[in-house]
Amino acid sequence: MNPNINPTAQAVDNVLIYIFGFSLLLLLGITVATIYLVIKYRRSKYPEPTSEVHGSFWLETLWTVLPTLIVLTMFWYGWTNYLGLRNVPEGAMEVKATARMWSWQFEYPDGRKTSKLFVPVGQPVKVTMTSVDVLHNFFIPAFRIKRDTVPGMETYVWFQATEPGSYDIFCAEYCGTGHSAMITSVEALPPEEYATWAQPQPPSAEPRGLIVLQEQGCTGCHSLDGSDGIGPSLYQLSGQQRKLLVAGQSKELSIDEDYLRRAIREPEAEIVSGYDPIMPAYDSDTLSEEDLQAVIDYLLGKATVPAAPKPDASVLLQENGCLGCHSQDGSEMVGPTFKGLGSREVVIERDGKEERIKVDRDYLLRALKQPKVDLVKGYPPIMPAADYLSTEELDAIVEHLLKQ
Amino acid sequence: MSESTTYTGFWQESPRPGILGWLLSTDHKRIGIMYLACIVTMFIVGACLGLALRLELIAPGRTIMDAQTYNATFTVHGIIMIFLFIIPSVPAAFGNLVLPIQIGARDVSFPKINLLSWYCYVSGAILAVFAIFSGGGAPDTGWTFYVPFSTQTTTNVNLAGLAAFMLGFSSILTGINFVTTIHRLRAEGMTWGRLPLFVWTLYATAWIQVLATPMIGITLVLVILERTFGAGLFDAARGGDPILFQHLFWIYSHPAVYIMILPGMGVISEVIPTFARKPLFGYWAMALSSLAIAFAGSLVWAHHMYTSGMSDFAILVFSFLTFIVAIPSAIKIFNWVSTLYKGSIQLAPPMLYALSFIFNFAIGGLGGLALGAAAADIHLHDTTFVVGHFHYTMFGGLGFAFFAALHYWLPKFTGRMYQHKPAVIAWAIVFVGFNITYMAMQAVGIQGMPRRYYDYVPEFTTLNQVATFGSWILAAGLLMMFVNLWLGCRAGDPVGKNPWGAATLEWEVPSPPPLENFGEEDPVVTRGPYEFKGVVADEY
Repeated sequence: MNPNINPTAQAVDNVLIYIFGFSLLLLLGITVATIYLVIKYRRSKYPEPTSEVHGSFWLETLWTVLPTLIVLTMFWYGWTNYLGLRNVPEGAMEVKATARMWSWQFEYPDGRKTSKLFVPVGQPVKVTMTSVDVLHNFFIPAFRIKRDTVPGMETYVWFQATEPGSYDIFCAEYCGTGHSAMITSVEALPPEEYATWAQPQPPSAEPRGLIVLQEQGCTGCHSLDGSDGIGPSLYQLSGQQRKLLVAGQSKELSIDEDYLRRAIREPEAEIVSGYDPIMPAYDSDTLSEEDLQAVIDYLLGKATVPAAPKPDASVLLQENGCLGCHSQDGSEMVGPTFKGLGSREVVIERDGKEERIKVDRDYLLRALKQPKVDLVKGYPPIMPAADYLSTEELDAIVEHLLKQ
Repeated sequence: MSESTTYTGFWQESPRPGILGWLLSTDHKRIGIMYLACIVTMFIVGACLGLALRLELIAPGRTIMDAQTYNATFTVHGIIMIFLFIIPSVPAAFGNLVLPIQIGARDVSFPKINLLSWYCYVSGAILAVFAIFSGGGAPDTGWTFYVPFSTQTTTNVNLAGLAAFMLGFSSILTGINFVTTIHRLRAEGMTWGRLPLFVWTLYATAWIQVLATPMIGITLVLVILERTFGAGLFDAARGGDPILFQHLFWIYSHPAVYIMILPGMGVISEVIPTFARKPLFGYWAMALSSLAIAFAGSLVWAHHMYTSGMSDFAILVFSFLTFIVAIPSAIKIFNWVSTLYKGSIQLAPPMLYALSFIFNFAIGGLGGLALGAAAADIHLHDTTFVVGHFHYTMFGGLGFAFFAALHYWLPKFTGRMYQHKPAVIAWAIVFVGFNITYMAMQAVGIQGMPRRYYDYVPEFTTLNQVATFGSWILAAGLLMMFVNLWLGCRAGDPVGKNPWGAATLEWEVPSPPPLENFGEEDPVVTRGPYEFKGVVADEY
């Protein structure tokens, strides 16, 4: 088998092409026949019908039997290819996925957890999934796989990435306000890069509390930088005043350890005013007492481990899929190359006007955060805004790029 | 109504004067007109919500509303269109208007229950409106009310569930009435083999209404119990099963799509013979395929659930049954097209809608084959392809059949003819706009855009813009069609008994028909519904 043909995508596409092909022929036949008959037997030419036929047993039989045979081939072809989506090949890497409103958490065999799914190219991956709140659905259009995640139940999918790259994972089962924002990706790395990635990480590079916040998907709704989201931001919480609704009564308090503990364990008891009471409760099965303490310490600025070291820009470029469109060696891809960026002048279009500018820090920050404002001439305006990166991360990337 | 000399049939004749003559009327035609007024109003409201959804999707990110409003809008759009427009559209409005006359009856079997069913409909509609504007706000679950989301959301799901419950009762009562009427009140000589196809399809529909609708009522009550008392039936943490809800929901809601489409097929089976002046090809095949659809359609519900986590064996069985139900639909299409052969075809407005029904329904049906095949459905399920697909069957199918019925029967019941030229132009605009909108939606779904998405990745922008653009064309066409029909009903030229030269019984009574449809003597039927020899169209 050609290793570049994606096995699951191929199985589904075969069936789609077979059925759509037949359908197109049938539709064409029906439409052409109708138009032909309508023109040929128009009333201006035939004021009265030239036949009084009521039907034909043989024709009825023919167009009962023939479609039956056709659709049964469709049924069987669809079923056998479906089995290909269900039978996981030997040697598949096993990943556990947990869906919640509105984020994903992937857990690898070695216990590592991420919010994007990192896989090696060429190896089958089996994702065993569940949900902690409502129904969600794990959908990767590029691999044509889709399966609901159901609370209290395990479901699975398998796929195999055949090309390195970043592939969207959508939630395809409606799950509320953040449904369409519940997007993450499969990051398919070449095997050697994956091996590097999968090496055990040096412990406590980041405060434990922050890691837990990310692993548990908290940051899907609560920003860390003060921007408003589905839930209140977690930026500088210590000592902040909060207006709460408790059993319909308004109440104000200043944020402390006790409050944070209650807000995580029993979020429905006290609702921050202005926000929907949708946060799921994190019981001690989901979030251990130590992890809870780490989160609280982190949120109150009492992190017990050193602050994160400076982010590594080359890793960031990799992880965020920048290199999918921008080369580092001067070769031409979807977007301009990074090579020689620090000493380059570019022609940009702003509001339809062209302008030649020198690449500098300000420009690069703008290009990252609002890529649609200044468009580099000759390239399609498709770059997504990198506004989910932190200020430190953006700074690291800009510094790195200017040195290219 | 200033020309008091003009004949106005049931519009004037009533045991009670004024508005009470309508609100307390048991005349099937008055009840039909009251249904029609409500249903068209609901359609317009639902269409405006649909336009708002399309406008929001013209670009990624926020355009005119926030995510919560968007979710509530598509939920309300779905509830209105399905429970308040599609399900009652043809059966309750045109079924009431036409069915008794077509079988030579003076009214339905239970005229008072008929009126009661209209009141159930209206109370359901009022509850639905209350659900939008009171309590925790408009429901945001989608019309499918999937648990556990529907048991957790703070929006007004209970009231919306009660609304659907009431509407279900309206549907059941209408179904019982029609089954009984068709069995008991056929005129002398109106044998089963002489029933117009419209009656056959209403008969098949009525059975599904009676047998399947209680399921949705019970299911929604269970959701309300779950929300209010924490019954735990669908809660995995307490031994319940969320997927059980999906089975219960679709055991009604899949047969319901045949409640929706079958009467539309009936309309098309009336219109095509009339404007081809030829008997319907394969009368018995058409009648029996309607019953076959009603029966087989009740056994395919879980094809909505291939990705739900149910067993692969269930997928095997339901995929097989789904392909079986495709066959009677194919038979119908072949028979309609064959009816045209050697006919005398007139492209009047009802015929244009009927022919485009065949085209749209074929696309919807063929798309359904891809969704029925297990492997293909895995990619297409819960994408906008599905949204496009069911709009092709429900709007392109039933919607177009409803418009065909409006253009075909309104002159009969108002006694006035609309202008044909604007009707044809409006049809062309509706047809083009419809196909642009939903073809683009299907295409972006094949690309992988999930449905019920408020926001989307940039790759999906172009096709979404095409769909939104199409929705404006569609809306312009619908506006033109409704204005033209309204002007026609108010001030069109008076028509005689039989403006189209049709052969069924309703065209032998005056337009509009009198209070009890037929004069002193009950009609006696001596020929089939599509024998056009000697039937002459009146000039108008």
